[in-house]
Amino acid sequence: MSIPLPIGSQRTQMLEQLARLCRTGDSSRAQRLAAPSGFPELDANLPGGGWPIGAIAELMSDATGIGELSLLVPVLTRLARAGRYIACIAPPYLPYAPALAQRGLPLERLLLIQTRSLQESLWATEQALRCPAVGAVLGWPAYIVDRNVRRLQLAAETGGSLGILYRPPEAARESSPAALRLRLHAAPDGLAVEIQKSRGGAAGITLRVAVASMAVASMVVAPTGVAPTVAA
Amino acid sequence: MSAGLWLCIRLPQLAHEALAAAAHRAAGAEACATGRGVDPAAIEHAAMERLAAWAYQWSSLVSYRLSDGPLLWLELAGSRSLFGGHAALLARLEAGLTQLGYSHACALAPSPTGAALLTQAEQQRCVTTRAQLRSRLEMLPLALLALPQDVLAALHAAGLRRIGQLLALPAAAIARRFGPAASLYLQRLCGTASDPRPAWRMPATYRACFEFDGAVHDTTALLFPLRRLLLEFQGYLRGRDCAVLRFTLEFEHYRQAASGVTVGMSAPARDAAQFLLLARERLQNLVLPAPVQALRLQALEFTAASVLQADFFGSDAQQLQQLQLLLDRLQARLGEGQVQGLALKADHRPERAWGFVTPQQSTAQPDTQAAARPCTLLLQPRRIEPPALLLSGPERIESGWWDGADVNRDYYVARAADGARLWVFRDPAEGAWYLQGLWS
Repeated sequence: MSIPLPIGSQRTQMLEQLARLCRTGDSSRAQRLAAPSGFPELDANLPGGGWPIGAIAELMSDATGIGELSLLVPVLTRLARAGRYIACIAPPYLPYAPALAQRGLPLERLLLIQTRSLQESLWATEQALRCPAVGAVLGWPAYIVDRNVRRLQLAAETGGSLGILYRPPEAARESSPAALRLRLHAAPDGLAVEIQKSRGGAAGITLRVAVASMAVASMVVAPTGVAPTVAA
Repeated sequence: MSAGLWLCIRLPQLAHEALAAAAHRAAGAEACATGRGVDPAAIEHAAMERLAAWAYQWSSLVSYRLSDGPLLWLELAGSRSLFGGHAALLARLEAGLTQLGYSHACALAPSPTGAALLTQAEQQRCVTTRAQLRSRLEMLPLALLALPQDVLAALHAAGLRRIGQLLALPAAAIARRFGPAASLYLQRLCGTASDPRPAWRMPATYRACFEFDGAVHDTTALLFPLRRLLLEFQGYLRGRDCAVLRFTLEFEHYRQAASGVTVGMSAPARDAAQFLLLARERLQNLVLPAPVQALRLQALEFTAASVLQADFFGSDAQQLQQLQLLLDRLQARLGEGQVQGLALKADHRPERAWGFVTPQQSTAQPDTQAAARPCTLLLQPRRIEPPALLLSGPERIESGWWDGADVNRDYYVARAADGARLWVFRDPAEGAWYLQGLWS
C-alpha cells in the first residue's frame, strides 16, 4: 500500500501549509526589495527598510486630510526622479500640482487616470502595475475583495512596482493578502502609523511620522469680527 | 543568363481558408439570411492581394497568379544574405503562413516556372542551381507539367512517363510536334529562357477587407479574422519599411451605413500584437449598430520607420515604449481624455495655478518661494461654517483683477474635529468661509 493521497479538506490543508511554507521561505530572503519612505522612523520598522517593491500596500486612513498622501510623496518623488511614472487611478480629490511640485515631484512623471466604474479602476490599476515604466500606482477602490488584491499583487510583482490601495478604515477588520497594511490616525504633530500587517516584518507597532504637510506659521492672526480658537 | 532565385508558394486552399474564419465564428453568426452571397473569386483575389503585401517584407519582387494554383512568387536573390540563408527564410515564411492559417507548399528554384512545378513534388523542393533543377525535374512524373491536357495525353501515348524523357528530346522537335508554347514552357521550366513575372505593386494606402458569409453579431467573433488582417498589415508595413499612428476598422452592415472605430497610437507602430491588443480594447466597449457583413482595415497615412522606438536600443527608449503601450491601452479602453497629466500655471489663484495636460508634458518650474500648499484640492471651493481651530495663517491672496475673476482671500490652515487639516479661506468682504483643500 502506498502513501494515501490527501483528499478533500485534508488536501486543502496541505496546500495551505505548502503555501505558508513558500511564503515563509520567501520572506526569509534577507534582500527584500524596498524603496525608502523618506521617514527614518518608518523605514526602521519596515522589512527591507522601506515600501515593498513588487507588492501591494494598503493604507487605511481614519480621515481624509491627515497626511495620508504626504506619507507617500517622498517615495513617489524618489521613484519619479529615477525615471519611473506614478499613476493615480480615479483619486477622490484632485492631487494638487503646485504642492507636489513644491516637494520636488517631477509632474511630467505623473499620470492621472479617470474611470467610470470600479471594474474599470481595477483594470486600469492592474495594467499600470504591470507596466515596467510605472514605479507606483495609487488606487482608491471603493470595494475590493481578496481575489482582487491577489491579482493586483501579482501585477505589482510582474511590473516591479509599488501598489498603494487606499481603503476605508473598516477594511482593517478584514484580512487581506496585501504585503503591507497600515492604519493611519491623525496625530497633533504629524501622523500616527499603525503597522497592522507586514509580510516578513513586525506588526502591531504604532509610530509617529512627521509628514511635512504644511509650513508651520509662527503666529496665527485671527480675522477680526470672528473668533475661532487659535492653536497654542 | 542569370535567372535569380525564386521562391514559389502554392496555396491550394486559399479561397476556402480565407473564409475559414467564418466557420470559426459559428457562435456569433447566423447563416446567410440576408441573401447577399459571397463571391469566392473575389475572396481569393482579396486574400492574395493581402498576402502579396505581406510577402513584400521579404522581397521587393512579388508576383502572383490565381489560375492553376493559386501561386505566389518572391524573388530572393537580392535578399538572401539579409535573412541568414534560404533555410532560415523559408522557415520564417512557412511559420508566418501557418500563423495566418493558410495551408501551403513552398519550393525554391532558379526559375519561377520551375519553382511552381516543384511545389507539387513530394519532397526535395529546394534547388539553387540550374543543374540541380534539371536533375530534380528529370525524376518527376510528366503529369506535373503545366501543359494542355491534349499535349500531356499525346506524350503519354508516345510512351513518355518522366519529365527527364521529354527534356532529352531536341527542343526543335518538341516545338515542331507540340507547338512553340510547349517548347518555351520547357525552357522556362529549366531556367534557360527568360521568364519575366509581372511585379506586384504595393498600393500607396492600405485597404484590406474580410467578408463574412453570414452576419456577425458579436464583437468577439471579429477578433479571429482581425488577427489575420493585422498580421498581414504588419507584413505590409515591414515591406514598406514604415509604421502607422492610426488605422481604421470599418464594419459593413446590411442596408445600413458602415460603422467603424479608429485605433490610435501615441507613437508610430507596426507590431501586429500591439495592434490587436488595442483593437480588442476598442471592440470591448463597442456596441455594434447592426450585424457585421464585412470587416475592413484601412490605413491612409504612414510614417517613416526610422522614428520607430523599437529601432532604438537602450532602457530609456524601451521604457518610453512600454509607457506608450500602457497609455494606448488605457485610452483605448477608458476613452481619450481619461488619461491626463498635471502642469503648473503661473497664477496666484490656487484654483488656476494648475491645469490638465496630455501626459508626459514637462511643466514650468515651481515657485520655491511660495507658501506651502496642500496635496489635494477641491475643484470648487465649498462653503463651510467658520472653523473652530486655526493652526496657521493668514496668507493673503489678491489676484485676478485683470480678468474679472479676481479674488481677495485670507488663507488659513484649520483643524477639523476628525483631525483632518483643512486649507480654508475667508473672503474679508463677504465674511464667509470656504474649504479649498486638504492637507492629505
